[in-house]
Amino acid sequence: MNTIRLYLRSMGMLIRCQLEYPVSFFMQTLAQLVMEGGEMMAVILVIDRFGHLGQWEPGNLFFFFGTMSVCFYLTEMFGRGVTGNFPYLVRSGQLDTLLLRPRGLLTQVLCSAVDPRRITCVAVGVTALVLGSRMSSIAWTFPKALAMAESILMGCALILGLFLIEAVFVIFSVKSVELVNALTYGGRSACEYPVDIYPRPLRILFSIVAPFAMVMHVPCSWIMDRPLYGWPAWTAFVCPLSGALVLGIMVLVFYRAIRHYRSTGS
Amino acid sequence: MSYIEVRDLRKTFTVRKKREKGSLFRERETVEALKGISFSVEQGELLGYIGPNGAGKSTTVKILSGILTPDSGTVSVNGRVPWENRKEHVRHIGVVFGQRSQLWWDVPLLDSYSLLKDIYRLPEADYTSRLKELTEALELGGLLRTPLRLLSLGQRMRAELCGSLLHRPELLFLDEPTIGLDAVSKLALRDFLLWENREHGTTILLTTHDMEDIAALCPRVMVLGHGQKLFDGDLQDLLRRFDTTRTVTVRYEPDISALSLPESAAVSRSGSDWIISYAPDQLPTAQLISLLQDAGSIREMTLQPENIDHLIAAMYREMDL
Repeated sequence: MNTIRLYLRSMGMLIRCQLEYPVSFFMQTLAQLVMEGGEMMAVILVIDRFGHLGQWEPGNLFFFFGTMSVCFYLTEMFGRGVTGNFPYLVRSGQLDTLLLRPRGLLTQVLCSAVDPRRITCVAVGVTALVLGSRMSSIAWTFPKALAMAESILMGCALILGLFLIEAVFVIFSVKSVELVNALTYGGRSACEYPVDIYPRPLRILFSIVAPFAMVMHVPCSWIMDRPLYGWPAWTAFVCPLSGALVLGIMVLVFYRAIRHYRSTGS
Repeated sequence: MSYIEVRDLRKTFTVRKKREKGSLFRERETVEALKGISFSVEQGELLGYIGPNGAGKSTTVKILSGILTPDSGTVSVNGRVPWENRKEHVRHIGVVFGQRSQLWWDVPLLDSYSLLKDIYRLPEADYTSRLKELTEALELGGLLRTPLRLLSLGQRMRAELCGSLLHRPELLFLDEPTIGLDAVSKLALRDFLLWENREHGTTILLTTHDMEDIAALCPRVMVLGHGQKLFDGDLQDLLRRFDTTRTVTVRYEPDISALSLPESAAVSRSGSDWIISYAPDQLPTAQLISLLQDAGSIREMTLQPENIDHLIAAMYREMDL
């Protein structure tokens, strides 16, 4: 309980810090809107040009895009400590400071940064979700809402887990590793679209290695009554759990790796 | 068993060298930061830890505070192994890095402290009384509503100290705490550390390059060089070993035109002052004084203690650091 309180208080403090520079804050928030709005324009253009993608209607595509945007930017907003701040913590030696406090390291890393500017990106995602839901005329029921919530929650877990891979590399080499970005940012860009439009190697990559398809596409397609590969309903609830699995494994790896942390000079 | 027990502590780092032209991989080099250090510290001691840059001082502090895991050797701090039960260990220690802030940059000090209260799970009453005590001792009262970034270096160091002592640590590490401070701030900081040590029995381990800090605070010093312990004991003993020359300044009235002394004493002039440096073991002070008295009528005479920094530099040279 105290941990949640600590997280919320840290968030409040960090947001107040950012509002110390209000002009910069609002300009950057606006820039984020333009950026994510551009991503959505890309999807709209694809739909406009082709009408549909494989078996997927425009509304379905908006729904997939919205799910990914909401998950990814919620994670970047609240998990900024892991997704963006961690290399800085290691390089600047701030991680030492965190290690000197009687709290879990990951808790403190998460408490070390927040990115409220992403709120506009999340808003674009929500808009796409609503739009997609209307256009696909989804009849919302309780199980469908539950599947949606689970998908978003597990999506965040998966993305956080993937960013932890980068964190582990940073612990060993101090420099961030671009290769891992292929999984995180690459995964985001690729899996804005349903996985079955891709060739087999990419399908395997995004179903098993970085299981975006399991976490997002399987439940979302079921919600829209067009289950991916015709899989049964229970898969919409079980497959997303792979997100928690990835996060769990990476948390363990992270704590093993931190034993090899070597700090920087004084 | 002592409060801190360190036995045969070793730590190596692999450093990747810059890639040489023509070779595909970068060479790796192993640097031994600590080559088997042993020492013990009693509760309530004030221990100075000195050595040139890169001697392994910070590495020792980082291992003792649970940040780094050593390659081999044992450490026990009040029965705890720092890197094994980190959370339990750090609850009882405070660390101040001279060049690294532990507070939040853009918010008032009070907000930082109040967040630390949550981090350390301090009871409200305990926190309030301790904060009051520390703000009085560190004269921070007027600064509590000021953001850290607006404070001067001296004020910031006091604020950092307050932050790292809120949870009443039994052991305090200070890594170059007086770096960049002016004379007044340094003196105030030293007074505070002595007060904290006396009042609460806090064990303090201090690394510094400022010999005045050591002379003012630490009855006991440890010298580290190339990852090895070179000296452990009383500061005065250490100085006596390397303190071989003394300097005397003499002024005559009326001034004399020439001063003849044995060859072992070096004589120079600055204005109307005669400056004589000599080694007491070759030319005893009593003999020198009688020689000086014979030369004319002395108006004033000062015996200068050797600059402590010069002594330490001489010591590093002699120990080949």
